[in-house]
Amino acid sequence: MTDVHRRFLQLLMTHGVLEEGDVRRLQKHCYQVHDRNAPVEKLEDFINTINSVLESLYIEIKKGVTEDDGRPIYALVNLATTSVSKMATDFAENELDLFRKALELIIDSESGFASSTNILNLVDQLKGKKMRKKEAEQVLQKFVQNKWLIEKEGEFTLHSRAILEMEQYIRETHPDAVKTCNICRGLLIQGQSCETCGIRMHLPCVAKYFQSTAEPRCPHCNDYWPHEIPEVFDPEKERDAGVSRTSRKSLRARQH
Amino acid sequence: MSQIPRSRGRPSAFALADRERERGRGGDHPSPSADVSEEAPSTSRGPDARAVPAPGPGGGRRFQAAPAVGPRTQKQLELKVAELVQFLLVKDQKKIPIKRTDILKHVVGDYKDVFPELLRLAAGRLRDVFGYELVELEPRSNAYILVNTLEPVEEDAEVRGDQGTPAAGLLMIVLGLIFMKGNTITETEVWDFLRRLGVYPTKRHLIFGDPKKLITEDFVRQRYLEYRRIPHTDPVDYELQWGPRTNLETSKMKVLKFVAKIHNQDPKDWPVQYCEALMDEENRARPPSSAPAPSS
Repeated sequence: MTDVHRRFLQLLMTHGVLEEGDVRRLQKHCYQVHDRNAPVEKLEDFINTINSVLESLYIEIKKGVTEDDGRPIYALVNLATTSVSKMATDFAENELDLFRKALELIIDSESGFASSTNILNLVDQLKGKKMRKKEAEQVLQKFVQNKWLIEKEGEFTLHSRAILEMEQYIRETHPDAVKTCNICRGLLIQGQSCETCGIRMHLPCVAKYFQSTAEPRCPHCNDYWPHEIPEVFDPEKERDAGVSRTSRKSLRARQH
Repeated sequence: MSQIPRSRGRPSAFALADRERERGRGGDHPSPSADVSEEAPSTSRGPDARAVPAPGPGGGRRFQAAPAVGPRTQKQLELKVAELVQFLLVKDQKKIPIKRTDILKHVVGDYKDVFPELLRLAAGRLRDVFGYELVELEPRSNAYILVNTLEPVEEDAEVRGDQGTPAAGLLMIVLGLIFMKGNTITETEVWDFLRRLGVYPTKRHLIFGDPKKLITEDFVRQRYLEYRRIPHTDPVDYELQWGPRTNLETSKMKVLKFVAKIHNQDPKDWPVQYCEALMDEENRARPPSSAPAPSS
Protein backbone atom coordinates (compact mmCIF):
# COMPACT_ATOMS: atom_id res chain seq x y z
CA MET A 1 0.00 0.00 0.00
CA THR A 2 1.71 3.20 -1.11
CA ASP A 3 0.74 6.86 -1.13
CA VAL A 4 -0.52 6.33 -4.67
CA HIS A 5 -3.07 3.86 -3.34
CA ARG A 6 -3.88 6.02 -0.32
CA ARG A 7 -4.56 9.14 -2.32
CA PHE A 8 -6.65 7.07 -4.72
CA LEU A 9 -8.67 5.70 -1.84
CA GLN A 10 -9.13 9.11 -0.23
CA LEU A 11 -10.35 10.65 -3.45
CA LEU A 12 -12.49 7.67 -4.38
CA MET A 13 -14.26 8.06 -1.05
CA THR A 14 -15.38 11.54 -2.06
CA HIS A 15 -17.52 9.95 -4.76
CA GLY A 16 -20.49 7.80 -3.95
CA VAL A 17 -19.96 5.92 -7.17
CA LEU A 18 -17.59 6.49 -10.07
CA GLU A 19 -17.58 5.41 -13.70
CA GLU A 20 -14.68 3.38 -14.96
CA GLY A 21 -13.28 6.10 -17.20
CA ASP A 22 -13.11 8.49 -14.28
CA VAL A 23 -11.61 5.82 -12.07
CA ARG A 24 -8.76 5.44 -14.56
CA ARG A 25 -8.27 9.20 -14.60
CA LEU A 26 -8.16 9.19 -10.85
CA GLN A 27 -5.59 6.42 -10.83
CA LYS A 28 -3.42 8.29 -13.32
CA HIS A 29 -3.67 11.44 -11.25
CA CYS A 30 -2.43 9.63 -8.15
CA TYR A 31 0.55 8.25 -10.03
CA GLN A 32 1.31 11.76 -11.29
CA VAL A 33 1.38 13.12 -7.77
CA HIS A 34 3.43 10.43 -6.10
CA ASP A 35 5.25 8.33 -8.62
CA ARG A 36 5.45 10.17 -11.88
CA ASN A 37 7.79 7.77 -13.64
CA ALA A 38 6.28 4.51 -12.55
CA PRO A 39 4.15 2.62 -15.07
CA VAL A 40 0.46 2.80 -14.23
CA GLU A 41 -0.59 -0.60 -12.97
CA LYS A 42 -3.51 -2.36 -14.64
CA LEU A 43 -6.64 -1.05 -12.96
CA GLU A 44 -7.90 -4.47 -11.93
CA ASP A 45 -4.64 -5.33 -10.20
CA PHE A 46 -4.40 -1.90 -8.65
CA ILE A 47 -7.83 -2.28 -7.14
CA ASN A 48 -7.13 -5.82 -6.01
CA THR A 49 -4.07 -4.58 -4.14
CA ILE A 50 -6.21 -2.08 -2.29
CA ASN A 51 -9.01 -4.55 -1.68
CA SER A 52 -6.69 -7.08 -0.09
CA VAL A 53 -5.78 -4.43 2.46
CA LEU A 54 -9.38 -3.32 2.91
CA GLU A 55 -10.54 -6.86 3.56
CA SER A 56 -9.81 -6.79 7.29
CA LEU A 57 -11.76 -3.53 7.51
CA TYR A 58 -14.80 -5.17 5.96
CA ILE A 59 -15.02 -2.74 3.08
CA GLU A 60 -14.18 -3.20 -0.57
CA ILE A 61 -14.06 -1.36 -3.86
CA LYS A 62 -16.81 -3.10 -5.72
CA LYS A 63 -17.28 -3.11 -9.46
CA GLY A 64 -20.70 -3.13 -11.01
CA VAL A 65 -22.57 -2.13 -14.11
CA THR A 66 -25.36 0.40 -14.57
CA GLU A 67 -28.67 -1.29 -15.17
CA ASP A 68 -29.83 0.93 -17.97
CA ASP A 69 -26.83 1.11 -20.27
CA GLY A 70 -24.18 -1.20 -18.95
CA ARG A 71 -21.52 1.30 -17.89
CA PRO A 72 -18.92 -0.18 -15.55
CA ILE A 73 -18.95 1.62 -12.22
CA TYR A 74 -17.07 1.42 -8.94
CA ALA A 75 -18.07 2.15 -5.37
CA LEU A 76 -16.61 1.66 -1.93
CA VAL A 77 -19.04 -0.60 -0.08
CA ASN A 78 -19.37 -1.92 3.43
CA LEU A 79 -19.30 -5.66 3.77
CA ALA A 80 -20.13 -6.02 7.44
CA THR A 81 -23.16 -3.80 7.67
CA THR A 82 -26.32 -4.57 5.84
CA SER A 83 -28.60 -1.71 6.68
CA VAL A 84 -28.92 1.57 4.85
CA SER A 85 -26.02 2.54 7.01
CA LYS A 86 -24.04 4.71 4.65
CA MET A 87 -27.06 6.93 4.32
CA ALA A 88 -27.58 7.07 8.05
CA THR A 89 -25.14 9.90 8.53
CA ASP A 90 -26.68 12.17 5.94
CA PHE A 91 -30.35 11.59 6.59
CA ALA A 92 -32.72 11.79 9.53
CA GLU A 93 -34.72 8.85 10.78
CA ASN A 94 -37.88 9.77 8.91
CA GLU A 95 -35.90 10.35 5.72
CA LEU A 96 -34.29 6.94 5.98
CA ASP A 97 -37.69 5.44 6.51
CA LEU A 98 -38.97 7.20 3.40
CA PHE A 99 -36.11 5.62 1.49
CA ARG A 100 -36.99 2.19 2.84
CA LYS A 101 -40.60 2.65 1.81
CA ALA A 102 -39.56 3.76 -1.67
CA LEU A 103 -37.18 0.83 -1.85
CA GLU A 104 -39.97 -1.58 -1.02
CA LEU A 105 -42.26 -0.14 -3.68
CA ILE A 106 -39.47 -0.32 -6.23
CA ILE A 107 -38.70 -3.94 -5.45
CA ASP A 108 -42.34 -4.95 -5.54
CA SER A 109 -43.04 -3.16 -8.79
CA GLU A 110 -43.06 -4.88 -12.15
CA SER A 111 -41.03 -2.25 -13.93
CA GLY A 112 -38.56 -1.52 -11.16
CA PHE A 113 -39.99 1.98 -10.86
CA ALA A 114 -42.20 3.45 -8.15
CA SER A 115 -44.30 6.48 -8.86
CA SER A 116 -43.81 9.64 -6.89
CA THR A 117 -47.48 9.58 -5.93
CA ASN A 118 -47.33 6.10 -4.46
CA ILE A 119 -44.25 6.93 -2.45
CA LEU A 120 -45.67 10.17 -1.13
CA ASN A 121 -48.87 8.44 -0.08
CA LEU A 122 -46.85 6.52 2.48
CA VAL A 123 -45.67 9.66 4.21
CA ASP A 124 -48.02 9.14 7.15
CA GLN A 125 -46.49 5.79 7.96
CA LEU A 126 -42.99 7.10 8.45
CA LYS A 127 -41.08 6.64 11.67
CA GLY A 128 -39.68 9.63 13.45
CA LYS A 129 -40.68 13.23 13.00
CA LYS A 130 -43.84 13.82 10.99
CA MET A 131 -43.13 14.69 7.36
CA ARG A 132 -45.42 16.50 4.99
CA LYS A 133 -45.72 15.50 1.34
CA LYS A 134 -44.07 18.70 0.18
CA GLU A 135 -41.11 17.96 2.39
CA ALA A 136 -41.02 14.38 1.19
CA GLU A 137 -40.77 15.58 -2.39
CA GLN A 138 -37.63 17.47 -1.46
CA VAL A 139 -36.21 14.51 0.37
CA LEU A 140 -36.72 12.39 -2.73
CA GLN A 141 -34.78 14.99 -4.70
CA LYS A 142 -32.04 14.79 -2.10
CA PHE A 143 -31.87 11.06 -2.70
CA VAL A 144 -31.50 11.71 -6.41
CA GLN A 145 -28.77 14.30 -5.89
CA ASN A 146 -26.87 11.93 -3.63
CA LYS A 147 -27.22 9.15 -6.17
CA TRP A 148 -29.37 6.78 -4.17
CA LEU A 149 -32.33 7.06 -6.51
CA ILE A 150 -32.79 7.89 -10.17
CA GLU A 151 -35.84 9.79 -11.36
CA LYS A 152 -37.41 9.33 -14.76
CA GLU A 153 -40.64 11.13 -15.62
CA GLY A 154 -41.94 11.26 -12.09
CA GLU A 155 -40.97 7.70 -11.26
CA PHE A 156 -38.12 6.53 -9.11
CA THR A 157 -35.80 3.56 -9.27
CA LEU A 158 -32.57 2.62 -7.53
CA HIS A 159 -29.33 4.27 -8.58
CA SER A 160 -26.62 1.76 -9.44
CA ARG A 161 -24.83 3.04 -6.37
CA ALA A 162 -27.65 1.87 -4.15
CA ILE A 163 -27.70 -1.51 -5.87
CA LEU A 164 -23.96 -1.97 -5.38
CA GLU A 165 -24.11 -0.93 -1.76
CA MET A 166 -27.31 -2.61 -0.70
CA GLU A 167 -27.63 -5.73 -2.80
CA GLN A 168 -27.02 -8.02 0.14
CA TYR A 169 -29.35 -6.06 2.38
CA ILE A 170 -32.07 -6.07 -0.24
CA ARG A 171 -31.81 -9.80 -0.86
CA GLU A 172 -32.06 -10.48 2.84
CA THR A 173 -34.91 -8.18 3.68
CA HIS A 174 -37.02 -9.00 0.63
CA PRO A 175 -36.15 -12.60 -0.17
CA ASP A 176 -39.44 -13.32 -1.91
CA ALA A 177 -40.01 -10.09 -3.78
CA VAL A 178 -36.47 -9.76 -5.11
CA LYS A 179 -35.92 -10.38 -8.81
CA THR A 180 -32.74 -11.78 -10.28
CA CYS A 181 -31.22 -11.81 -13.71
CA ASN A 182 -31.30 -15.12 -15.51
CA ILE A 183 -27.91 -14.51 -17.05
CA CYS A 184 -25.68 -13.00 -14.35
CA ARG A 185 -27.77 -14.07 -11.35
CA GLY A 186 -27.37 -10.58 -9.90
CA LEU A 187 -30.06 -8.53 -8.25
CA LEU A 188 -32.41 -7.09 -10.83
CA ILE A 189 -34.39 -3.89 -10.48
CA GLN A 190 -34.79 -2.79 -14.10
CA GLY A 191 -34.71 -5.22 -16.96
CA GLN A 192 -36.58 -7.10 -19.63
CA SER A 193 -38.73 -10.15 -19.04
CA CYS A 194 -39.93 -13.02 -21.14
CA GLU A 195 -43.68 -12.75 -21.64
CA THR A 196 -44.07 -16.49 -21.76
CA CYS A 197 -42.04 -17.89 -18.89
CA GLY A 198 -41.35 -14.75 -16.91
CA ILE A 199 -37.56 -14.95 -16.57
CA ARG A 200 -35.81 -11.62 -16.40
CA MET A 201 -32.57 -10.18 -17.70
CA HIS A 202 -30.69 -6.93 -17.17
CA LEU A 203 -30.56 -4.70 -20.22
CA PRO A 204 -26.77 -4.96 -20.50
CA CYS A 205 -27.04 -8.72 -20.01
CA VAL A 206 -29.61 -8.86 -22.82
CA ALA A 207 -27.28 -6.80 -24.97
CA LYS A 208 -24.36 -9.13 -24.42
CA TYR A 209 -26.35 -12.34 -24.66
CA PHE A 210 -28.08 -11.50 -27.89
CA GLN A 211 -25.19 -9.64 -29.43
CA SER A 212 -25.18 -10.39 -33.14
CA THR A 213 -28.00 -12.93 -32.86
CA ALA A 214 -30.40 -12.71 -35.73
CA GLU A 215 -33.39 -14.14 -33.92
CA PRO A 216 -33.20 -13.58 -30.19
CA ARG A 217 -34.89 -16.32 -28.19
CA CYS A 218 -35.53 -16.71 -24.49
CA PRO A 219 -32.71 -18.77 -22.94
CA HIS A 220 -35.24 -20.54 -20.75
CA CYS A 221 -38.31 -21.35 -22.83
CA ASN A 222 -36.95 -20.61 -26.29
CA ASP A 223 -39.83 -18.37 -27.23
CA TYR A 224 -39.09 -15.38 -29.38
CA TRP A 225 -37.70 -12.53 -27.29
CA PRO A 226 -40.21 -9.72 -27.81
CA HIS A 227 -38.16 -6.70 -26.76
CA GLU A 228 -35.73 -4.37 -28.48
CA ILE A 229 -32.17 -5.56 -27.96
CA PRO A 230 -30.02 -2.73 -26.60
CA GLU A 231 -26.47 -2.02 -27.72
CA VAL A 232 -23.52 -3.31 -25.76
CA PHE A 233 -21.79 -0.46 -23.97
CA ASP A 234 -18.66 0.61 -25.80
CA PRO A 235 -16.41 3.09 -24.02
CA GLU A 236 -14.55 3.76 -27.27
CA LYS A 237 -17.73 4.93 -28.95
CA GLU A 238 -18.35 7.31 -26.06
CA ARG A 239 -14.95 8.87 -26.45
CA ASP A 240 -15.34 9.30 -30.20
CA ALA A 241 -18.73 10.91 -29.80
CA GLY A 242 -16.88 13.59 -27.89
CA VAL A 243 -18.99 13.16 -24.80
CA SER A 244 -17.12 15.02 -22.14
CA ARG A 245 -16.69 12.59 -19.30
CA THR A 246 -14.04 14.74 -17.73
CA SER A 247 -16.25 17.63 -16.80
CA ARG A 248 -17.76 17.13 -13.40
CA LYS A 249 -20.72 19.19 -14.46
CA SER A 250 -21.68 16.76 -17.17
CA LEU A 251 -21.16 13.93 -14.71
CA ARG A 252 -23.63 15.46 -12.35
CA ALA A 253 -26.06 16.27 -15.11
CA ARG A 254 -26.36 12.69 -16.24
CA GLN A 255 -29.08 10.90 -14.41
CA HIS A 256 -26.90 7.98 -13.53
CA MET B 1 -23.96 0.95 32.23
CA SER B 2 -24.88 1.12 28.61
CA GLN B 3 -28.62 1.08 28.35
CA ILE B 4 -30.14 0.69 24.94
CA PRO B 5 -32.33 3.67 24.25
CA ARG B 6 -34.99 2.41 21.94
CA SER B 7 -35.64 5.26 19.62
CA ARG B 8 -33.25 8.03 18.84
CA GLY B 9 -33.21 10.76 16.28
CA ARG B 10 -30.60 9.17 14.14
CA PRO B 11 -30.12 5.43 14.03
CA SER B 12 -26.57 4.37 14.56
CA ALA B 13 -24.75 3.62 11.40
CA PHE B 14 -23.58 0.31 12.70
CA ALA B 15 -26.55 -0.93 14.61
CA LEU B 16 -27.64 -3.76 12.38
CA ALA B 17 -24.12 -4.94 11.79
CA ASP B 18 -23.63 -5.31 15.46
CA ARG B 19 -26.75 -7.36 16.03
CA GLU B 20 -25.83 -9.58 13.12
CA ARG B 21 -22.48 -10.20 14.64
CA GLU B 22 -23.97 -11.21 17.94
CA ARG B 23 -25.57 -14.12 16.18
CA GLY B 24 -22.10 -15.53 15.92
CA ARG B 25 -21.40 -14.87 12.29
CA GLY B 26 -18.18 -13.19 11.33
CA GLY B 27 -19.96 -10.33 9.72
CA ASP B 28 -19.96 -11.84 6.24
CA HIS B 29 -23.54 -12.83 5.70
CA PRO B 30 -25.73 -11.64 8.51
CA SER B 31 -28.87 -13.50 9.42
CA PRO B 32 -31.81 -12.97 7.06
CA SER B 33 -34.18 -12.31 9.89
CA ALA B 34 -32.62 -8.92 10.50
CA ASP B 35 -35.37 -6.67 11.69
CA VAL B 36 -35.13 -3.58 9.63
CA SER B 37 -37.29 -1.52 11.88
CA GLU B 38 -35.12 -1.91 14.94
CA GLU B 39 -32.11 0.28 14.88
CA ALA B 40 -30.72 0.17 18.37
CA PRO B 41 -27.38 1.80 18.89
CA SER B 42 -24.41 -0.50 18.85
CA THR B 43 -23.86 -2.11 22.21
CA SER B 44 -21.92 -5.22 21.38
CA ARG B 45 -24.16 -7.16 23.69
CA GLY B 46 -24.84 -10.73 22.88
CA PRO B 47 -24.07 -14.29 23.74
CA ASP B 48 -20.38 -13.87 23.19
CA ALA B 49 -20.05 -10.77 25.27
CA ARG B 50 -21.97 -12.26 28.16
CA ALA B 51 -18.86 -13.42 29.88
CA VAL B 52 -17.69 -9.86 30.24
CA PRO B 53 -18.17 -8.79 33.84
CA ALA B 54 -20.91 -6.31 34.61
CA PRO B 55 -19.96 -2.74 33.90
CA GLY B 56 -17.93 -1.26 36.63
CA PRO B 57 -14.26 -1.07 37.35
CA GLY B 58 -13.53 -3.85 34.92
CA GLY B 59 -10.59 -1.97 33.57
CA GLY B 60 -8.18 -4.57 34.76
CA ARG B 61 -8.40 -6.55 31.55
CA ARG B 62 -5.42 -5.98 29.32
CA PHE B 63 -5.55 -6.73 25.68
CA GLN B 64 -2.83 -9.06 24.49
CA ALA B 65 -1.87 -9.69 20.95
CA ALA B 66 -2.45 -13.41 21.46
CA PRO B 67 -5.66 -14.73 19.92
CA ALA B 68 -8.86 -15.35 21.85
CA VAL B 69 -8.39 -13.09 24.81
CA GLY B 70 -11.16 -13.53 27.32
CA PRO B 71 -14.54 -14.14 25.71
CA ARG B 72 -13.72 -12.27 22.54
CA THR B 73 -12.27 -13.83 19.46
CA GLN B 74 -9.71 -12.24 17.22
CA LYS B 75 -12.41 -11.94 14.58
CA GLN B 76 -14.73 -10.02 16.87
CA LEU B 77 -11.99 -7.61 17.76
CA GLU B 78 -11.09 -7.20 14.12
CA LEU B 79 -14.70 -6.36 13.37
CA LYS B 80 -14.75 -3.86 16.22
CA VAL B 81 -11.68 -2.13 14.85
CA ALA B 82 -13.29 -2.07 11.41
CA GLU B 83 -16.41 -0.47 12.87
CA LEU B 84 -14.32 2.07 14.70
CA VAL B 85 -12.37 2.97 11.57
CA GLN B 86 -15.54 3.48 9.56
CA PHE B 87 -17.10 5.49 12.37
CA LEU B 88 -14.12 7.81 12.56
CA LEU B 89 -13.99 8.26 8.79
CA VAL B 90 -17.65 9.09 8.56
CA LYS B 91 -17.66 11.42 11.55
CA ASP B 92 -14.60 13.28 10.38
CA GLN B 93 -16.29 14.04 7.09
CA LYS B 94 -18.43 16.55 8.95
CA LYS B 95 -15.25 18.16 10.21
CA ILE B 96 -16.57 18.15 13.76
CA PRO B 97 -14.15 16.74 16.32
CA ILE B 98 -15.14 13.25 17.39
CA LYS B 99 -15.75 12.98 21.10
CA ARG B 100 -14.38 10.06 23.03
CA THR B 101 -17.76 9.67 24.69
CA ASP B 102 -19.44 9.29 21.31
CA ILE B 103 -16.94 6.66 20.29
CA LEU B 104 -17.59 4.75 23.48
CA LYS B 105 -21.34 5.07 23.18
CA HIS B 106 -21.83 4.29 19.51
CA VAL B 107 -19.09 1.85 18.67
CA VAL B 108 -17.10 0.48 21.56
CA GLY B 109 -19.90 -0.39 23.96
CA ASP B 110 -19.01 -3.48 25.94
CA TYR B 111 -15.52 -3.53 24.55
CA LYS B 112 -14.77 -0.57 26.73
CA ASP B 113 -12.03 -2.34 28.64
CA VAL B 114 -9.96 -2.76 25.50
CA PHE B 115 -10.80 0.68 24.21
CA PRO B 116 -7.23 2.04 24.25
CA GLU B 117 -6.05 -0.92 22.22
CA LEU B 118 -8.98 -0.64 19.81
CA LEU B 119 -8.23 3.02 19.29
CA ARG B 120 -4.55 2.31 18.77
CA LEU B 121 -5.33 -0.37 16.18
CA ALA B 122 -7.88 1.85 14.45
CA ALA B 123 -5.39 4.70 14.31
CA GLY B 124 -2.87 2.36 12.75
CA ARG B 125 -5.28 1.24 10.05
CA LEU B 126 -6.30 4.82 9.33
CA ARG B 127 -2.67 5.72 8.83
CA ASP B 128 -1.57 2.69 6.83
CA VAL B 129 -4.63 2.28 4.66
CA PHE B 130 -6.00 5.78 4.19
CA GLY B 131 -3.14 8.09 5.09
CA TYR B 132 -5.04 9.78 7.91
CA GLU B 133 -3.50 10.48 11.29
CA LEU B 134 -5.85 10.25 14.26
CA VAL B 135 -4.95 13.19 16.45
CA GLU B 136 -6.29 14.47 19.70
CA LEU B 137 -7.52 17.99 19.16
CA GLU B 138 -5.91 19.33 22.28
CA PRO B 139 -4.20 17.49 25.10
CA ARG B 140 -6.82 16.03 27.42
CA SER B 141 -9.68 17.30 25.27
CA ASN B 142 -10.88 13.74 24.62
CA ALA B 143 -11.85 14.81 21.13
CA TYR B 144 -10.20 13.64 17.94
CA ILE B 145 -9.78 14.69 14.34
CA LEU B 146 -8.22 13.08 11.30
CA VAL B 147 -5.31 14.94 9.80
CA ASN B 148 -4.30 14.10 6.25
CA THR B 149 -0.74 12.88 5.96
CA LEU B 150 -0.92 13.35 2.20
CA GLU B 151 -0.33 16.87 0.97
CA PRO B 152 -3.37 18.21 -0.90
CA VAL B 153 -2.56 19.05 -4.48
CA GLU B 154 -4.34 21.54 -6.72
CA GLU B 155 -5.25 18.89 -9.26
CA ASP B 156 -7.07 16.91 -6.59
CA ALA B 157 -9.94 19.32 -7.06
CA GLU B 158 -10.49 18.02 -10.59
CA VAL B 159 -10.94 14.42 -9.55
CA ARG B 160 -12.82 14.89 -6.31
CA GLY B 161 -16.45 13.93 -5.90
CA ASP B 162 -17.34 16.58 -3.40
CA GLN B 163 -16.96 20.10 -4.67
CA GLY B 164 -14.20 20.68 -2.18
CA THR B 165 -15.87 23.42 -0.26
CA PRO B 166 -16.06 27.03 -1.28
CA ALA B 167 -16.12 27.63 2.45
CA ALA B 168 -12.48 26.53 2.54
CA GLY B 169 -11.59 29.60 0.49
CA LEU B 170 -13.27 31.92 2.94
CA LEU B 171 -11.61 30.14 5.83
CA MET B 172 -8.19 30.56 4.27
CA ILE B 173 -8.78 34.26 3.85
CA VAL B 174 -9.82 34.67 7.47
CA LEU B 175 -6.90 32.56 8.72
CA GLY B 176 -4.55 34.69 6.64
CA LEU B 177 -6.06 37.85 7.99
CA ILE B 178 -5.71 36.71 11.58
CA PHE B 179 -2.09 35.69 11.15
CA MET B 180 -1.03 38.81 9.31
CA LYS B 181 -2.64 40.99 11.96
CA GLY B 182 -0.65 39.37 14.75
CA ASN B 183 -2.65 36.19 15.50
CA THR B 184 -5.71 37.94 16.83
CA ILE B 185 -8.29 40.16 15.21
CA THR B 186 -11.66 41.65 16.07
CA GLU B 187 -14.80 40.66 14.26
CA THR B 188 -15.27 44.28 13.22
CA GLU B 189 -11.89 44.22 11.48
CA VAL B 190 -12.81 41.00 9.72
CA TRP B 191 -15.95 42.49 8.20
CA ASP B 192 -14.16 45.74 7.33
CA PHE B 193 -11.79 43.66 5.28
CA LEU B 194 -14.31 41.24 3.79
CA ARG B 195 -16.63 44.03 2.75
CA ARG B 196 -13.95 45.12 0.34
CA LEU B 197 -14.22 41.67 -1.26
CA GLY B 198 -17.98 41.93 -1.48
CA VAL B 199 -18.63 39.66 1.47
CA TYR B 200 -21.06 41.00 4.06
CA PRO B 201 -22.27 39.62 7.38
CA THR B 202 -25.88 40.40 6.63
CA LYS B 203 -26.08 39.60 2.95
CA ARG B 204 -26.34 36.18 1.36
CA HIS B 205 -23.25 35.46 -0.72
CA LEU B 206 -23.43 33.65 -4.04
CA ILE B 207 -20.55 31.32 -3.27
CA PHE B 208 -20.27 31.30 0.50
CA GLY B 209 -23.94 31.41 1.37
CA ASP B 210 -24.10 32.78 4.88
CA PRO B 211 -20.61 34.13 5.62
CA LYS B 212 -21.48 35.25 9.14
CA LYS B 213 -22.70 31.79 10.06
CA LEU B 214 -19.66 30.20 8.45
CA ILE B 215 -17.18 32.35 10.29
CA THR B 216 -18.80 32.71 13.70
CA GLU B 217 -20.49 29.31 13.94
CA ASP B 218 -19.39 26.62 11.49
CA PHE B 219 -15.65 27.28 11.53
CA VAL B 220 -15.79 27.63 15.29
CA ARG B 221 -17.66 24.37 15.74
CA GLN B 222 -15.15 22.68 13.46
CA ARG B 223 -12.42 24.15 15.67
CA TYR B 224 -10.71 26.08 12.91
CA LEU B 225 -11.39 29.34 14.74
CA GLU B 226 -11.77 30.55 18.28
CA TYR B 227 -14.45 33.18 18.76
CA ARG B 228 -14.53 35.03 22.04
CA ARG B 229 -16.44 38.01 23.28
CA ILE B 230 -14.30 40.99 24.15
CA PRO B 231 -15.53 42.25 27.53
CA HIS B 232 -16.52 45.84 28.05
CA THR B 233 -17.10 46.51 24.37
CA ASP B 234 -20.15 48.45 23.32
CA PRO B 235 -21.38 47.55 20.75
CA VAL B 236 -20.24 44.04 21.55
CA ASP B 237 -17.20 42.93 19.62
CA TYR B 238 -15.52 39.55 19.42
CA GLU B 239 -11.99 38.43 18.89
CA LEU B 240 -11.02 35.74 16.42
CA GLN B 241 -7.97 33.52 16.62
CA TRP B 242 -6.80 30.30 15.11
CA GLY B 243 -8.44 27.24 16.61
CA PRO B 244 -6.71 23.99 17.53
CA ARG B 245 -7.65 22.25 14.28
CA THR B 246 -5.94 24.93 12.21
CA ASN B 247 -2.65 24.35 13.94
CA LEU B 248 -2.93 20.65 13.29
CA GLU B 249 -4.02 20.83 9.68
CA THR B 250 -1.93 23.70 8.40
CA SER B 251 0.87 25.98 9.54
CA LYS B 252 1.85 29.63 9.73
CA MET B 253 4.23 29.13 6.87
CA LYS B 254 1.57 27.57 4.65
CA VAL B 255 -0.85 30.38 5.40
CA LEU B 256 1.83 33.00 4.78
CA LYS B 257 2.63 31.40 1.44
CA PHE B 258 -1.06 31.55 0.59
CA VAL B 259 -1.24 35.24 1.46
CA ALA B 260 1.93 35.93 -0.52
CA LYS B 261 0.51 34.09 -3.51
CA ILE B 262 -2.64 36.19 -3.51
CA HIS B 263 -0.57 39.35 -3.47
CA ASN B 264 1.78 37.93 -6.05
CA GLN B 265 4.67 38.53 -3.71
CA ASP B 266 7.19 36.58 -1.74
CA PRO B 267 6.59 35.48 1.86
CA LYS B 268 9.83 37.21 2.81
CA ASP B 269 8.22 40.52 1.93
CA TRP B 270 6.61 40.33 5.36
CA PRO B 271 9.71 39.89 7.55
CA VAL B 272 7.89 39.84 10.87
CA GLN B 273 5.44 37.19 9.84
CA TYR B 274 8.10 35.29 7.93
CA CYS B 275 10.25 35.11 11.06
CA GLU B 276 7.33 33.93 13.10
CA ALA B 277 6.46 31.31 10.49
CA LEU B 278 10.05 30.06 10.46
CA MET B 279 10.08 29.66 14.21
CA ASP B 280 6.81 27.78 13.98
CA GLU B 281 8.38 25.43 11.43
CA GLU B 282 11.32 24.82 13.73
CA ASN B 283 9.02 24.01 16.62
CA ARG B 284 7.10 21.56 14.50
CA ALA B 285 10.23 19.80 13.32
CA ARG B 286 11.50 19.38 16.85
CA PRO B 287 9.60 16.50 18.45
CA PRO B 288 7.90 17.71 21.63
CA SER B 289 9.47 16.17 24.72
CA SER B 290 6.21 14.95 26.21
CA ALA B 291 4.80 13.25 23.15
CA PRO B 292 5.24 9.53 22.53
CA ALA B 293 7.81 8.56 19.95
CA PRO B 294 6.29 8.57 16.50
CA SER B 295 5.71 5.11 15.08
CA SER B 296 7.69 4.42 11.94
